[in-house]
Amino acid sequence: MERNKNAEWDVRNSIGILTLSNPPENYLMEPEFIGVEFLQSRIQNERVKGIILCGAGRHFSGGAKLENLFQMANDRDNMMRQLEKGKALLDYFEYLEIPVIAAIKGVCFGAGLEIALAAHLRVCSGNALFAFPESNYGLIPGLGGIERLSEKASFPQTLNMILKGDIIDVKEAREMKIADYIVPDNEVFDFSFSLLKRMTEERSLKVIHYVMRALMNTKHLSIPEAMKEETRMFCELASEEAEKRNKNQDN
Amino acid sequence: MLAKYKTISFELVHGIGHLILDQPPSNKMTIDFFSEFHHILDGLHSVENLKAIVISGRGRHFSAGADLDQLLSLVRHESRKDAGGEMVDLPSFLEKNYKTFLSLEALNIPVIAAIRGVCLGSGFELALFCHFRFCGEDALFGLPESTYNLIPGIGGTSRVSILSGKPKALELVLHGNTFSAEDALGFNLVDKIFPKKQVVEMAISFARKISTSYKKEKAKLYLNKL
Repeated sequence: MERNKNAEWDVRNSIGILTLSNPPENYLMEPEFIGVEFLQSRIQNERVKGIILCGAGRHFSGGAKLENLFQMANDRDNMMRQLEKGKALLDYFEYLEIPVIAAIKGVCFGAGLEIALAAHLRVCSGNALFAFPESNYGLIPGLGGIERLSEKASFPQTLNMILKGDIIDVKEAREMKIADYIVPDNEVFDFSFSLLKRMTEERSLKVIHYVMRALMNTKHLSIPEAMKEETRMFCELASEEAEKRNKNQDN
Repeated sequence: MLAKYKTISFELVHGIGHLILDQPPSNKMTIDFFSEFHHILDGLHSVENLKAIVISGRGRHFSAGADLDQLLSLVRHESRKDAGGEMVDLPSFLEKNYKTFLSLEALNIPVIAAIRGVCLGSGFELALFCHFRFCGEDALFGLPESTYNLIPGIGGTSRVSILSGKPKALELVLHGNTFSAEDALGFNLVDKIFPKKQVVEMAISFARKISTSYKKEKAKLYLNKL
C-alpha cells in the first residue's frame, strides 16, 4: 500500500485499488487527490487491468471540505489551477483504456460524486447516499459533475439534483442511471472486485484497451466512423490470432 | 431477386420479406452467407411492394455467429499492414459487412429479428441492427468475441452501448458471457419475449400490422400495438 496525497494505492491480482483515505468522511483536501503521474507509472509498471475507486471506512467521500475550499478561494489563480488539475485527473479516469469501477457506500457527495461519475461503472450499497450540495452554498459542482451527470440522467433530473442540492438514495440514483448495481452494504468492495476480475482476468491488455476504445468512440465519432474503427480493431486482433494459430499448427 | 441462395432462404409473402438464415443447426455465418446477405440487401429496392423484413433462423437457433476459422484465414490472407504492423487496409469483406448492417438499419420499412435459441456474436450483431427484436423464452444471447482474444467486429459494442448504456456494454463485451432472454429484456436488448413457437408468427403479424404507417424514428411506439 502506497500513500499519495489523499489516497492510498494498492494492486491485487492486476487490479488497482485506489482508496480515498481521510476518514471518517474522506474529505478531499485538494481536487487532485492523487497525482496523475503517480497513477500513470503504477498502472503501466504493474500492468494493471482495471481499477476500483473506493473510500476508507464507512463512506465513499463527502467531497471537498467547505472551510478548506473557501480558504483556497482567497487565491483565485491558485484555485483555478487546483481545479484544472482535479479535472484533468477525472478526465484521466474517464479516458483510461482499462475499466474503472467506483465502489460506493455511505456518503457520496459533491466532488466525491464527481469522482464516482468519472468511473465507467458504479456499484453501490443499499445505504449509499448521493448529492450535489454545492448550490446550498452558492456554488456549483466544479469538476465536470454537471456534464457527467447529464450524460447519464435526463435533463430535468440533472437540473433538479444540481439546483435543489437534495440528498437522494440509491433507488433514485438507479432511476437516474448513476447506480449500475445495488448490493448489500458489506459486499460492495468484494462484488466490485469479482466483477472486475471476471471482466479482465483472462483478457489481454490489448483486448481490454480495444473494447474501452470502441466504447469511447461511440461518444466522439459518428456511428459509421465508430463502426469502421471497431472493424479495424477487430481485424487487427483477428490477424494476430490467425498468426498465432498458424504458428501453433506449424509446431 | 428471389433467386435461390445457398445459405439464406428469402420468401416474400403478402409483402413481408422473410429472410431465414438457412444453414442449420447453428446457422453459422460463413463468408458465403455474408456475400449472399449483401446481395439480397442490395436488391431489396427492386422488390415491389416490400412492406417489412423479418429475419429468423432455420430450426432451433437464430445463429451461433461467424465461422471463426474461415474468418481468421480470410483476414490473414487479405489484410495489409504497414511496417509497424498497423492495419492499413481493411479487407473489403469486413468493410462491406458493417456497411450492409448499417443499410439494413437504414431501411424505412420495419425490420424485425425473430430470435429463437442461440444468438451469438455476429448473429447477435445482425439482430442488433434490426429495428425490433422479438425472442423466444429459450433464447440465449452473447458477444463471446473477447473469449477468443477478439472484439465484436460488426458494431456490436456500439449497438449494445446505445441500447443498454456504456456500463452494461463494457461488462457484456469484456466478460463475453451468455445471458437469457429475460436478462436481454432487462438490458433493453430485446423488445418482447414470446413462447418460442410463436416468435416468428408474432413477428410476421406485427410486421403486417405496423407496415402501413411505419415511421422508423418512432419505432418503439409501435410496440404498444402488440
